[in-house]
Amino acid sequence: MSARCLSLLLAGAVTAFGQTSQVDLDSFEKVWTTVRDKHWQARPGGLDWQAIHDEYRPRVEKAASHDAARAVIQEMIGRLKQSHFAIIPAPVYSVLDEDGEGPGVTGIDARVLNGQAVVVSVDPGSPAEKQGVRPGWQIERAGGKDIKPIIDQARSNPAIHELQLTRALQARLSGSIGGTVEAAFLDGPGKLVDLKLNLTVPRGALSAFGNLPAQHVWFESRKIATTAYVRFNLFLDLPRVMAGFQQAVESCKPCDGLIIDLRGNPGGIGGMAMGMAGYLVDKPNQRLGTMYMRDSTLNFVVNPRADVLSAPVAVLVDGCSASTSEIFAGGLKDLGRARVFGTRTAAAALPSAFERLPNGDGFQYAVANYVSQGGQPLEGLGVTPDVTVELTRPALLAGHDAVLDAALDWIRRQKKP
Amino acid sequence: MNRRLLIVLLAGPALFAADPLPSAESVLDRYVQVTGGKQAYDKRKTEIAHGTLEYTSLGIKGTITRYAADPDKYYASLDIEGLGKVEMGVNGQVAWENSALLGPRLKSGVERAEAIREGSMNSTVNWRKLYPKVQNAGIETIDGEDCYKVIMTPAEGQPMIGYYQKKSGLQVKITTVSSTQMGDIPVELIASEYKDFGGILEPVKVIQKAGPQEFTITLERVEVNPVIPPDKFALPAEIRKLVDKADAK
Repeated sequence: MSARCLSLLLAGAVTAFGQTSQVDLDSFEKVWTTVRDKHWQARPGGLDWQAIHDEYRPRVEKAASHDAARAVIQEMIGRLKQSHFAIIPAPVYSVLDEDGEGPGVTGIDARVLNGQAVVVSVDPGSPAEKQGVRPGWQIERAGGKDIKPIIDQARSNPAIHELQLTRALQARLSGSIGGTVEAAFLDGPGKLVDLKLNLTVPRGALSAFGNLPAQHVWFESRKIATTAYVRFNLFLDLPRVMAGFQQAVESCKPCDGLIIDLRGNPGGIGGMAMGMAGYLVDKPNQRLGTMYMRDSTLNFVVNPRADVLSAPVAVLVDGCSASTSEIFAGGLKDLGRARVFGTRTAAAALPSAFERLPNGDGFQYAVANYVSQGGQPLEGLGVTPDVTVELTRPALLAGHDAVLDAALDWIRRQKKP
Repeated sequence: MNRRLLIVLLAGPALFAADPLPSAESVLDRYVQVTGGKQAYDKRKTEIAHGTLEYTSLGIKGTITRYAADPDKYYASLDIEGLGKVEMGVNGQVAWENSALLGPRLKSGVERAEAIREGSMNSTVNWRKLYPKVQNAGIETIDGEDCYKVIMTPAEGQPMIGYYQKKSGLQVKITTVSSTQMGDIPVELIASEYKDFGGILEPVKVIQKAGPQEFTITLERVEVNPVIPPDKFALPAEIRKLVDKADAK
């Protein structure tokens, strides 16, 4: 080997090592700076953050690989001892791509139950309903990809919560409006059903709010025997959703109780939680909780309306109930005004952000702390229901919504003789 | 000449050249003067101001209409895209707010006292009634201009610090801690682009930073001494209900 050839090889090795090292250093700096500038405490986690930098930067500089550098960065943010600060490795981050192929949807709402993607509801009149898809069907494949490996990979990382995974699944069932998406299901008897599902406009009316992208918002209200039931997909479209909520409350005077179904609701305008609680809480000077930011503290207060509902209230939640849904459910639970049914919420009371780092990893961080009225931080912990009820595939196939049934049963038992 | 005397002599011209700090009272009275004078304020018995507000970072816009009548009647209506209507008012000793988002409520305590001060017609000229204690705390430079920093302390609530340009006498900034239902929030207002509205200079542009939020209010026009129907200041039915409920308790 000539000297020239050897020096080229060495140069190549040095360049390759240098590039690897630099993106990891840039990633380290991005994480450290973000925490310094955006954490809700001036001393993040009570730590001397500059000293943390000086301790960890040399270790990243010496890291022999991406994995080793990531481990050091992860260890650094672990020193905060706070949830919602995490590094998500690039390969895992890529399977969680929540961007669908387009805005068209099938009308299927799915969740991961016992490690499998299962249809939990189908919008009435949607293409999926017309093409025979039923609650309880197991989704085997969607958009040309097997679903189980995606679930397994995502669940291997504790930083990934149900909300992200569910969004990633829904993205596989999306595409251009008017187009189709191929999907394979296991039906009730366990037969594999291959379908080319039509894609349509999402349910609800398009609603814009400031710089947020316009989103479809729907609100439904009905009576189940003598109990009022409301469900809405977002805390947005304030005029329509608040008016619908008010009407539902008024229709419940008298009624046996009110069920507010927040399953799958990822939140929206935080103030709407306070506004809605005002229809349910009679006592003045109550709050749902408190949000702590670096420069200010905000109390989520409740203004009792002139005519407040006195009937029992049940709130239904699941792992896809996030942000404003958690503030609402957690606050009413802590105030003793509602009984919460379902499974633990997303533990994302705040808009904890995800950013892509220079090395391709994902970085999750929270910018505030929210403490529910009972003294429990919601970020990272979520709302634990009073009554934990999980959906199961057999019950869904049999046409039962176990969570709703439990809430109805509780309301029936509250009825005074 | 000993060294000490030399220092005093050298320092003397500089010390004597500096303007003595004017009293807070004179700074506030000058502000009244440069914005139109007491007579102009005294002539104003009612007004309707029309403007816009914009939360630039959130991309949210709205309109604001403010009605005021001497001495203590106030009503404002904000229409904000995506959030609906927010109304607020002061009628004598009742201060209230009603929004599509949070519903109706009566203000109490320090928040009520603040609302009543803000709802006071011609508060600029009536500063002596509203702030029993005022103090000129010195000079600060804002945007390259020397400003007097005047601390105004009300009978109830947090002090308000006004910054008045030494050169023009105009108020260019206010800082205070506002007592709101959601908590005490640091507030900063930057006023600019003063314009004559019926004999009184008012800032056309006010940038307000309140906690994490920043928005800009732009004053478009002011109707001077219009006839305002008295029912404009009457308590809305939802607020009346809350007053009755509170009275009943």
